[in-house]
Amino acid sequence: MKLAVTDLTAGYGKAQVLFGISLEVAQGELVALLGANGAGKTTTLRTISGLIRPWAGSVALDGHSLLGISAARRAQMGLGHVPEGRQLFPLMSVEENLLLGAAFLAWAGKSEQLERIYALFPRLAERRWQMAGTLSGGEQQMLAIGRALMGRPRILMVDEPSLGLSPKLAEEVLTTLAQVKGEGVGVLLVEQNVALSLEVADRGYVVEHGRVVLQGSARELSSNEGVQKAYLAL
Amino acid sequence: MDLLLQTLINGILAAGIYALVASGLALAVGVVGIVNFAHGEFSMIGAFVSYLLFVGAGIDPILSLGLAAIVLFLVGAITYYGLIRPVLAAPELNQMLLTFGLSVALQNIALLMFGADTRVVSTSYQGATITLGGVSFGVPPFAAFVLSVGLLGALYWFLGKTRLGFAVRAVAQNRLAPGLLGIETQQIYLLAFGLSAALAGIAGVMLSVMLYASPTVGFAYTLKAFAIIVMAGLGNLRGVVPAAIVLALAEAFVSTYVPGGGGWVEAVFFLVIFVALTWRSWRLP
Repeated sequence: MKLAVTDLTAGYGKAQVLFGISLEVAQGELVALLGANGAGKTTTLRTISGLIRPWAGSVALDGHSLLGISAARRAQMGLGHVPEGRQLFPLMSVEENLLLGAAFLAWAGKSEQLERIYALFPRLAERRWQMAGTLSGGEQQMLAIGRALMGRPRILMVDEPSLGLSPKLAEEVLTTLAQVKGEGVGVLLVEQNVALSLEVADRGYVVEHGRVVLQGSARELSSNEGVQKAYLAL
Repeated sequence: MDLLLQTLINGILAAGIYALVASGLALAVGVVGIVNFAHGEFSMIGAFVSYLLFVGAGIDPILSLGLAAIVLFLVGAITYYGLIRPVLAAPELNQMLLTFGLSVALQNIALLMFGADTRVVSTSYQGATITLGGVSFGVPPFAAFVLSVGLLGALYWFLGKTRLGFAVRAVAQNRLAPGLLGIETQQIYLLAFGLSAALAGIAGVMLSVMLYASPTVGFAYTLKAFAIIVMAGLGNLRGVVPAAIVLALAEAFVSTYVPGGGGWVEAVFFLVIFVALTWRSWRLP
C-alpha cells in the first residue's frame, strides 16, 4: 500500500496553513516529516486522515482518492493516525483502550492482536488493567501507538511521539517505530526532534511555512548544511 | 414505623422513573455533549403516544411502551440530524438556546393539538394497590419501577458488555480519537441521542398512567433529571441511579414529614442542585 499526497493545500477558517505539500509513504519505510513549530506538519496529518478537509490537492491510497471519505472509513482502509496529544480514553484500562483500536475489526483475532502489542510494548502488559489516565507520559505514548496498531494499519502516521518524554524514552519510542516498520508498516513520523528522527528514518521531508522545502534520504538530510544549521544546531 | 417504611417505599418506587429519564439525559449530555432542555418534551410526546393509542385504538399502555420507544428513537434521530448536528461545534450557549427553543416549540405544538387539559390513560389496573403488612402501594408505580430497573439493567449491559456500547463510552471520553480508530462518531452520536429520547419516551408512557399526559408534563422531569445528573456529575451515567434515589427519597420525606409538604415537593430538586453544586465547589482544590 502506498500513501500519496499531491499539492495539498488546507487551513483553518481563512488562515491557510498548507501551501502545496506533496509526499509519499510506502509500506515498509519510515519517513520523517520535519520542521519547526507551526510549519504545518500536524495540519498535514490531520488533512491526510480526514479530520479536516483539504482546500485543494489530493490524498490517495494506492491510487484511490480519499476525497469525501470519512476519517473512520480511512482508518478502516488501513490508514492509522496517532494524533497530537495522544487522545486516550482516560477512564478506561490499558486493555480497553487497545481493544477500541480494533473495534471495527472482527473480534475473533483480538487476543492474538493484543499479545502482539504487548510484545512490542512490554510495559503496557504490566499495566494492562490500569486506567489510561494514570499512566506516565511515555506509557501513554506507547498506548496511543499500540491502540492505533490494533486496527492493523498499513500506513501509520505518528504525531510528535517524543513530545514531553525524556531523551531515553523518546529514543525507546522511536526505536519501536522502526520495529513497526520492520513488520511491513509504512510509518510517517512527524517530529521536532530532528536528530533523533533522522537516526531511525529512511527518508525525510523538511516543511517550512506549509511547503516542502527539502527532501531526501535520512543521510542526505543529516549532512545537508541548511538542515544542520536550522535543526541540528551543529 | 409504618409511616417511615411507607415513605421509603414511595421514594424508592419514584426513583425508577427518575433514573430512566435522567439516564437518557446523561447520554445526551455525556456522549453527544448537548445540554438538552427539551428532554422532558420527549417524555411528553411519549405520554401522548400512549394516550392516543389508548383512546384511538384501545391499546394498553404496556403494549404502547415498545411503540413509543421506537417513535421517540426516530424523533430523537430526526432532532439529532436536523437540529443538533449542525450546532455540535457551536458555542454551548447557542446549543442551550436551541434546545430550550425546541422545548418551548414542542410544548406549544402540543398545546395547539391537544389543548392544555390533562388527559389520563384510565386503565383497569390504574387504581389497583398492593398491600403488604402495614404499607401499600399502587400497581402502576410498582410496575413502572420494575420496568425501569429492567431497562436500566439492559442499558448498563449494553454500555458495559457490547462492542457498540463500548464505542459509545469511548466517544463520551474523547471525541477525536474514535474517528481515527475507525469508529463512525456521527453514528454513535445518532444512536446515543435516539436512545436518550427513547428512554424519555418510555418514561412518558408510564407518566400517562401514573400522572397524566399534558403539554407541560415533561417540563418538571427535565428539571428533576438535571438535578439528578448534576448530583451524579454531568455525564456520569453510573452516578445516575444513586442520585435518582437520593432525589426521590428527599421528595418522599419532604412530602410526608414537612407540614404542608406536598407543596414543597416540587422545590426539592432545586435544593438538591444547590447542595450538589456547593458541595462540588468546596471539594475543588
